[in-house]
Amino acid sequence: MAEAKTRSVSFPRYAEYNCAFKYIVEQALGCKYVMPPPLTKRTMELGAKYSPDFVCTPFKTMLGNLIEALEAGADTLLMTHGLCRLGYYGELLEQILRDLGYQFEFINLSEYDMSKKKEYLRIVRRFNPKVNPARFLARFLEGVRMVEYLDEITALYYQNCGFDAMDGAYRRSWQDFLTAMYTAQGRADIESAYRTVRRAFSSTRLDKPQRPLRVGIVGEFYTVMDAFSNLELEQKLADMGVEVHRWMNVTNQFLRYGSGQKNLRVKIRDLCQYDMGPTSTANIWYARECAERGFDGIVHVKSAACTPEIDVMPVLQNIGADYKIPVLYLTYDAQTSDVGLMTRLEAFYDMIHMRKKVL
Amino acid sequence: MEYEPVKIGLPRALLYARCRVLWRAFFQELGVDTVTSPPTDREILERGSALAIDEACLSLKIYLGHVQALLGACDYILVPRVSSFGRHRSMCTRFESTPDLVRSVFRGSDQQFLSYDVDEEMEGKSEEAAFLELGRALGRPPKAVKKAYKAAKKAELGHHRERVRRQEQLLKREGLKVLLAAHSYVAEDASMGRTVTDYLKKAGVIPLRADLVDRDAALKRSKELSPTCKWEISREILGGIALLRDQVDGIILLSAFPCGPDAMVNELITRRVKGVPILNLVMDAQSGTAGVETRLESFIDIIRFQRGEL
Repeated sequence: MAEAKTRSVSFPRYAEYNCAFKYIVEQALGCKYVMPPPLTKRTMELGAKYSPDFVCTPFKTMLGNLIEALEAGADTLLMTHGLCRLGYYGELLEQILRDLGYQFEFINLSEYDMSKKKEYLRIVRRFNPKVNPARFLARFLEGVRMVEYLDEITALYYQNCGFDAMDGAYRRSWQDFLTAMYTAQGRADIESAYRTVRRAFSSTRLDKPQRPLRVGIVGEFYTVMDAFSNLELEQKLADMGVEVHRWMNVTNQFLRYGSGQKNLRVKIRDLCQYDMGPTSTANIWYARECAERGFDGIVHVKSAACTPEIDVMPVLQNIGADYKIPVLYLTYDAQTSDVGLMTRLEAFYDMIHMRKKVL
Repeated sequence: MEYEPVKIGLPRALLYARCRVLWRAFFQELGVDTVTSPPTDREILERGSALAIDEACLSLKIYLGHVQALLGACDYILVPRVSSFGRHRSMCTRFESTPDLVRSVFRGSDQQFLSYDVDEEMEGKSEEAAFLELGRALGRPPKAVKKAYKAAKKAELGHHRERVRRQEQLLKREGLKVLLAAHSYVAEDASMGRTVTDYLKKAGVIPLRADLVDRDAALKRSKELSPTCKWEISREILGGIALLRDQVDGIILLSAFPCGPDAMVNELITRRVKGVPILNLVMDAQSGTAGVETRLESFIDIIRFQRGEL
């Protein structure tokens, strides 16, 4: 086993959350974090080449990115558990990487019973046996705070960046905020980056009509948030002059509502009786919410072969029919092209734009 | 006490293959009539495909065709939700979504549906508790329901044991033996697994089923092949392979396109099970029998060649 000090940990790119993974690994666990290279076409080619054909796309993305992380010097890889196929990613990823000949230590959360608190300490100790639990927890919570800020600022950004009247100032503030998050060393850095971006956002002049086009984004947990995987869907819509709203993020799904989401289910009882999958309740609830709040359209995002999100679609179709709200269904696989997406988005935009004029 | 006569429709797809004895016995004990949709044919498949989202698996498409075939033929159609039997004992999320999915797809009809919910891991709801609820929904007294469930469970276990015993006898027979690793609803469907087993029998091969083994033993042995496999049915199949691999001449991984668990588990099986020929066969709505037969034929030839019989 590698000495704790020299352990170089990596986890695949996932939206902008890697700044928080880095913070937790370095500040809370006292290991080195290997930032995997940004996702590129090469990542997808690597992933698709070695993955089984009809596994969901995030598996391919993660496999490709883990190979790149190993090339970048990682010696310890982390994979999460999960309620859908995600819970089996770990074992198959490890097997494929080992068959390719890579050497590394693999920490697979699916091997642990995550309903037991004691297990968490065991996992932490595997990263670093010398960790002081109290100190770990304090720094870990700072990482969690980072996630909350990130989600809050991301939501604000996509709601407003399309109306920037100051030549990209909004976007620059957002990028500065991300840079600050990726380099934060302590609580003070996180807080100051947050304050700075809030101030910058509110001092940026926006040129927003009284009733802008509003689009709600729902969908599968990885693809809906990861800008590379969804081909910058949110930025593309925002650039057309749309207020883009997305509820689904780590803060809302895990920190605020936790598992089960019984209190969200109450409001959609007429549409569905049970949880249909790990994110179904939140997605159905939010789609209905968008419809009731008079949004102009809904976009449903998922990776190819995502079972739970395929099953949500009939319910969304009913919401679309009941509330007369257009729903665009997007499926992403390793081959989905930018041009194809753009064509569909332009057509969608034209349609909701015309409807708004007519209605 | 006399009850209003009630008739419950059982779609001959998905959980039907696994639970039919349990369901039939349970409803019979409670004096409830059942009606089952006919075996899958071209029409059921085509109607189901038209009702389903394109990307859904063939098994769900077939299921929707069966539900449609039962519309109006019964008071309720039974569409259960089975999420998990405990940790690492989950079902594919599709079994979580079926009741709501079916209600959404058929909301234009006035058909009533009946459901029960097994969810040990997230909600602590056992199969027994789920059936008690089901009985209550039918207006039967808890005591009678409990008795009916116990009797039905006994019948189900007895039935499974009998099938395991019959398979053990087949194992003792001389001849080429091929192990079919497939979800029971794939293996037993007239349009999927049956075409494979029929062909194998015609070719003089003894087809065996990976899931027709003692379930507890299979769950234990599955860990040898895949320690974190989380799906109950996949684990039974993995365990069946672990138990029987030395007694068969080949393994056919039979899957319905694009089955989520199989996409991953079958990849792992081909990477970890060595020393026995494996055929990975994926059925889709377009599969004519000719293509399947060609692949089966060459697979059997390979096995015979290896055994020096060709």
